[in-house]
Amino acid sequence: MKRAWQIMSLAFVAAAVVTLIASFAYPYKDRLGPGPGFFPVWLSLITGGLSLALFAQVTWSRKAPFSPGSPLPEDRAGTVGIFIILGALLGSLVFLDFLGFRITLFLFLVFLPIALGMRNWVLILVFSLLGSFGVFHVFYYWLKVPLPMGVLGF
Amino acid sequence: METLQYWIQGFSVATQPLNLLYAFIGCILGTLIGVLPGLGPAAGTAILIPITFNLDPIGAIIMLAAIYYGAMYGGTITSVLVNVPGEAASVITCLDGYQMAKQGRAGPALGIAAIGSFIGGTFATIALMVVSLPLANFALRFGPPEVFALLVVGLSLVTGLSGRSLLAALVMTMLGLLLAMIGMDPVRGAPRFTLNIPPLYDGVGFIPVVMGLFGVGEILLSMEKPVLEIIKTKFTDLLPKKEEWKVSTGAIGRGTVIGFFLGLIPGIGAIIPTFLAYVVEKKVSKHPEKFGTGVIEGVASPETANNSYANGAMVPLLTLGIPGSPTLAVIMGAFIIHGLTPGPFLFKERPDVVWGLIASLYLGNVILLVLNLPLVGFWAKLLEIKYQYLYPGILLFCILGAYSLNQSVFDVGVMVVFGVLGYIFRKLDWPLAPTVLALILGPMMERALRTSLEMSGGALSILVTRPISAVLLTIAVIVLASPAVRLLGKRAGKDD
Repeated sequence: MKRAWQIMSLAFVAAAVVTLIASFAYPYKDRLGPGPGFFPVWLSLITGGLSLALFAQVTWSRKAPFSPGSPLPEDRAGTVGIFIILGALLGSLVFLDFLGFRITLFLFLVFLPIALGMRNWVLILVFSLLGSFGVFHVFYYWLKVPLPMGVLGF
Repeated sequence: METLQYWIQGFSVATQPLNLLYAFIGCILGTLIGVLPGLGPAAGTAILIPITFNLDPIGAIIMLAAIYYGAMYGGTITSVLVNVPGEAASVITCLDGYQMAKQGRAGPALGIAAIGSFIGGTFATIALMVVSLPLANFALRFGPPEVFALLVVGLSLVTGLSGRSLLAALVMTMLGLLLAMIGMDPVRGAPRFTLNIPPLYDGVGFIPVVMGLFGVGEILLSMEKPVLEIIKTKFTDLLPKKEEWKVSTGAIGRGTVIGFFLGLIPGIGAIIPTFLAYVVEKKVSKHPEKFGTGVIEGVASPETANNSYANGAMVPLLTLGIPGSPTLAVIMGAFIIHGLTPGPFLFKERPDVVWGLIASLYLGNVILLVLNLPLVGFWAKLLEIKYQYLYPGILLFCILGAYSLNQSVFDVGVMVVFGVLGYIFRKLDWPLAPTVLALILGPMMERALRTSLEMSGGALSILVTRPISAVLLTIAVIVLASPAVRLLGKRAGKDD
């Protein structure tokens, strides 16, 4: 856990430096008072300082602010499940505009239960049809919420 | 007299059949969100915002508020039956609620939680009606320095009370503030940090961030231990025994007072009131050693405080425009989506919305009681849904909710990115609530500070020479420097 805290605090230091550099692109002051760069400059400086202090505390303080143990998932099944869900989310992200809501979410809802170990095909089919075409109907036609149609037009 | 007229106006709005229906639907959806593991009130409320897009603003806000306080009760069911809180504020209920369920007394545990929630929620709403108008009138005197100082207090509280490390909580607050810098400069209107990506001109979407951090992140974390062990019980007896009523009455009274008054403090979050109510109950008890073994007052007091807090926390949101928790920040976002800005001016400009909402809280509490006592068995059944269907179902609504805000796949991407970040931060035990509140309050904070500095010709002393802002900033310093406050936060645990 200590290593993870160190890495994360250093990541924040890096983010603060990048933001500070980017902040200089905006005027710090203008004729009315503080400009668009004023707040980001100070926020970046404070973030950098706090992140460095956190890194120092984690590295050198005797009182560890973190709990013992590893931040990694305890077993392989958990890790696999997390990657399956992330893969499905990324897939839906890629195909949502192209295939439209109904087809993308139908595939999403067929894929996930199967990948997570379900084999009741009828239930999976009903679930995915209701979750994609059914939900689309309710939100698009009844609640008038715009949803993507995709290249196939449905 | 003026307040009485507003009360009558509020009830005439809230009792319109359509608004009653929205409150009813909101209570059902809220309880469902609270019951379902992997979906907390913040993400749940955010996901359901699209349902309200085509409703009138009053109906939309009534429904979202009902979802919020419905989720507060729903979380109890999983705390009692599964020993897993459906939402963070129910953590403390696990201690005695789960033990009662193991002894075959889940019915009375859930029954007293429903009754306590009703009483706490109702009394808090009465108090809300009494204090909100004077407070809103007082807040009208606030200039930019006072607004800035008040926002600093809110963020200090949520930071000081979060998690195990103050530094980590402060860094998370800064993350939220930095994210809030992306988009249009709130004072001059110039784009900043947009990387020439058109969707970023509107800033990082607050709702997709909440869905990611609290929805997707929670599901990813749940995948590590997805199977829940549910205590199966028959709910034949929902009411406590005669002798249990005696101890419960005092516990409910104390929980109501603690919940409401802590709800008035912006940024305190929902966990502290329940935690404090439990500690107080243990202190006043004749048999403190029995706490944690299944005593009914260990359920009654925190559950009452939970719903009393939920209604009390509406006070800073409605009167000052400051949300006290991520869920309330989502409701504030919903106000903005519907063209309303919470704060003292809302009382003047749209009294129908404010008082209609407040009146709906009464009715919502009645609906929740009627809904929950007879339907406890039904809600418990929902816990048996297999996670292989439940999590994809929740994710479906996350995708739908994120997309439909701006009809943009970019927002779905933001949600996924923050889902991964939410998972990582949870694993590290870094608090998420400060990031969310800082993200929504950041533009207000920057505007208030820069306008203050314009007023003073660049002198920061304006923040400490005006009495109200000086007092508020002193409070903020005390909150961050006080070990007692941090200890309370550490003991109470995690995010709202």
